[in-house]
Amino acid sequence: MSEFKLPEAFADLTRLAAHWAKPTEYQRSRLRWSASKEDFEILYDAIMPRLDAILSYMKSLPVKPIGEADRNLYWLACAFAEASPHHELYEGSAQVPHSFVAERFVAAHGDVS
Amino acid sequence: METVQDLQRSSKRMLPIHSTEDIRQMLGTEPVNLDIIRDPEIYRQEQEKIFRKNWLKVATTWEVANPGDWKVKELAVCAASVIIVRGKDGVIRAFHNVCTHRGNKVIPTTEFETFGHARANVMTCRFHGWVFGTNGDLRSVPMKEEFAEIDIQRLSLREIRCDVWEGFVFINFDEKPGQSLKEYLGGFGELFAGYPYAESTTTYRYSTVLDCNWKVALYAFSEGYHVPTIHAGSLPGFSGIEHTNYRILGPHASSAIYGGGMDTADSTLKFAEMLHGTEMHRPRPEQLPSDINPERRPDFQFELPSVFPNLIIHLAAGCGYPGLSYFTHQFWPLSHGKTLWEGINYFKPPQNAAEDIAQRHVNALHRNAWLEDTATMEDTFFGIMSGAINDMYLMDREFLIRHGVDTLNHYLNKVEA
Repeated sequence: MSEFKLPEAFADLTRLAAHWAKPTEYQRSRLRWSASKEDFEILYDAIMPRLDAILSYMKSLPVKPIGEADRNLYWLACAFAEASPHHELYEGSAQVPHSFVAERFVAAHGDVS
Repeated sequence: METVQDLQRSSKRMLPIHSTEDIRQMLGTEPVNLDIIRDPEIYRQEQEKIFRKNWLKVATTWEVANPGDWKVKELAVCAASVIIVRGKDGVIRAFHNVCTHRGNKVIPTTEFETFGHARANVMTCRFHGWVFGTNGDLRSVPMKEEFAEIDIQRLSLREIRCDVWEGFVFINFDEKPGQSLKEYLGGFGELFAGYPYAESTTTYRYSTVLDCNWKVALYAFSEGYHVPTIHAGSLPGFSGIEHTNYRILGPHASSAIYGGGMDTADSTLKFAEMLHGTEMHRPRPEQLPSDINPERRPDFQFELPSVFPNLIIHLAAGCGYPGLSYFTHQFWPLSHGKTLWEGINYFKPPQNAAEDIAQRHVNALHRNAWLEDTATMEDTFFGIMSGAINDMYLMDREFLIRHGVDTLNHYLNKVEA
């Protein structure tokens, strides 16, 4: 099995990406539902200062990046985009507070990346 | 008492914005009896007199973009499975998903919605291989010579009335609908016409089955009164909300949500900046139909209508949630106490991976708000069914509910006491 890769400029995020970068919304949701307050904090503190750089890099890529390293960074950014409210708004709670059970929401657009 | 026809005829005249005082006079102010939600007999009447008689949105034209593309929609409320298919001639038609031989589903389905493509523009029943064209014609019957009697001409798929408004596909189960789709949509159709809905083909769709009557879910999404409380988590600081521009449009109605003051989180600011920096995803107030946000107020969030019986199209043109063109809700009864809720976020297609990521953030924020909304519905229905309360007291901003109940009663020919 090949080593988990990120674009060189973001190689310092490799360990984090190996955990969070999942190809589908459902896979990322499952990971998010089991995350702790500390998990969200670590993700947020690592990505937020690099978000401008990541988005700037992603601007040059197609909607579905093709290369393995680019794709991993894209999936990491997707995970961050979906997880940041849990750190910023929900005090690290994996579920949206006072909400419906998230698992009962079906993503009818399909489980695509 | 005005009839539904009176309401329809007057819809154009009533396009102007009504004041709170007007709304109170037109719709009354008394508490609304909850039997309309509680009584299973009323649900049976709704099936016959509302869902089998009125125009129902079932698809968009771009879901069946090419000849041969089909969508099957299961509509338990009308005990029907419906094929919406674009024919070789480009026309979108709707048929009962029922083989005219013995009644099997022509397209077998297990989901509430299924999408596919008819190769060579034909659909073949798996039971005995009867072949139907995408225009509904019966094209081929295996071992036809062994049928002593068969009239191919009369065995086309059973067609359902189908028409298109602004790219939204509607059907009507009534063989002779009293009104065309255009007449039925009336003032709503005029108010919302002209926005380029079909440009927003990037969709995030969520659905869930709720243990509640369909109107509990519909009414929960029909007012802005709940926003500062229910959405205190996902929309912090959003207390300055204004729900106004009330319009009664025959059986439909509309209103607008204005308001800023939301404490936007740091990551949301970054993603919003990314989307707002593009011509395609920036707020596009100039694309709003002229009667929506007529004063072009900068704090416009979205137009909140109610399209009878079960559709809401929130039109934002990117002015509310960053980059979000509009979003729709539909509430499909599965039984008296069970509802399929469908929520769809519509964006213009992202041009690169960064825009896609930013849209996913906005979608997640909005989906989270929907999770907050849906949290109340089963409890509300449980409470109503308990019999502890008999009426609901409605405030001005809940006028879409009061008007919805009025319209429902008109269709059921039931005059409120």
